[in-house]
Amino acid sequence: MSEKKTFRITRFDPDRDEAPRTETYEIPVDPDWKVLDALNFIKDEIDGSLSHRWSCRMAVCGSCGMMVDGKPTLTCKKALSEYGSEISVEPLANFPVVRDLVVELDGFMEKFESVKPWIIRAKERAVEEGTHRQSQAELEEFKQFSMCINCMLCYSACPVVANEPEFIGPAAIALGHRYNLDSRDEGAHERNEIFRGEGSVFSCSYANECSEVCPKSVDPAAAVNQAKINAVIDWATGFVVTRGKE
Amino acid sequence: MARAAHPDAMKPKSPGRTRTAPPMAPGQFPFAGRYRAYTLFDWTGIIYLLLGFVALRVVWALGNGEGAWQSIQGQLENPLYLAFHILSLVSVIFVGVRFFRLFPKAQPPRIGPLKPPPGPVIQAALYAAWVGVAGGLALVLAGGIF
Repeated sequence: MSEKKTFRITRFDPDRDEAPRTETYEIPVDPDWKVLDALNFIKDEIDGSLSHRWSCRMAVCGSCGMMVDGKPTLTCKKALSEYGSEISVEPLANFPVVRDLVVELDGFMEKFESVKPWIIRAKERAVEEGTHRQSQAELEEFKQFSMCINCMLCYSACPVVANEPEFIGPAAIALGHRYNLDSRDEGAHERNEIFRGEGSVFSCSYANECSEVCPKSVDPAAAVNQAKINAVIDWATGFVVTRGKE
Repeated sequence: MARAAHPDAMKPKSPGRTRTAPPMAPGQFPFAGRYRAYTLFDWTGIIYLLLGFVALRVVWALGNGEGAWQSIQGQLENPLYLAFHILSLVSVIFVGVRFFRLFPKAQPPRIGPLKPPPGPVIQAALYAAWVGVAGGLALVLAGGIF
């Protein structure tokens, strides 16, 4: 570990700090390290009070999202060699900060839950009637949108999330849209009403940043804009089609 | 991160037990990185608004007789107007290209039994329609047809 890099890390202790501040750490690094390895080194060897979330270290759990050099990034994914000698690490943009690099998740979870991300059936069928069969083609229609790992990078990149607190946001809409496309689901009308309501899909101005930063190529911008079309079709057909629950 | 986001951005309905620092907007927004293109895209709205006013002026002149029409024709030859029209053309091409790039993936995989054609086909159709309409209008304005 001959090379050294400087990390400018945002720190915030709610008990002591009025506002977030920046601390600088110069540490020896291994060329194979990711940003997360450097944060763990700082926490283990220099400053045990540094707080950050992480878990799987392989871009699956979605815990370690932070702003690295101003961009929403999974810190376990990108090697340090891809950055310069000075690297800034900040908590995810657009989220309240609980401590250091840890952000408040409850608002995100509320938005997630609001789109009813589960299979809704008009009438549950009995277990003995067997499973709901789904063809490969039917699966392919929504599979892409089911790959989300809830890392929240899309929320952090979205200019609408920054300005409109009611906006449901990219990942939650992508998940709701995923269920709307699922051949086993019968709750599309319920979700489309939510999509047209407060924090509507129409708040999205198609900046496309959510898709640019998505580490799993979910393409939430596509989901949001497809959801807009489906929400309009659902509204228009409501004038001529009687729906089961109404 | 230079500027603050909306203070209620991503805030839970009921506050947690810990005091939190307010959310900050992405540092690169609105003028750096990829946000630059998005911001420029939004700002083209101002150009179209001004273009609308110019069009209204021209129509107004048309309704005020031959003298007014000749006068506005003369004014439109002013280099400032020409520069503005070139800027408008550039912004229309910019918006068109961006829209055509993003439009195909906004199509739902299926509407009832109907499935949209593949993305490149949609994109090609959009460009063909654009060239066709622009060519047709150019012919009309040049007196080629009608």
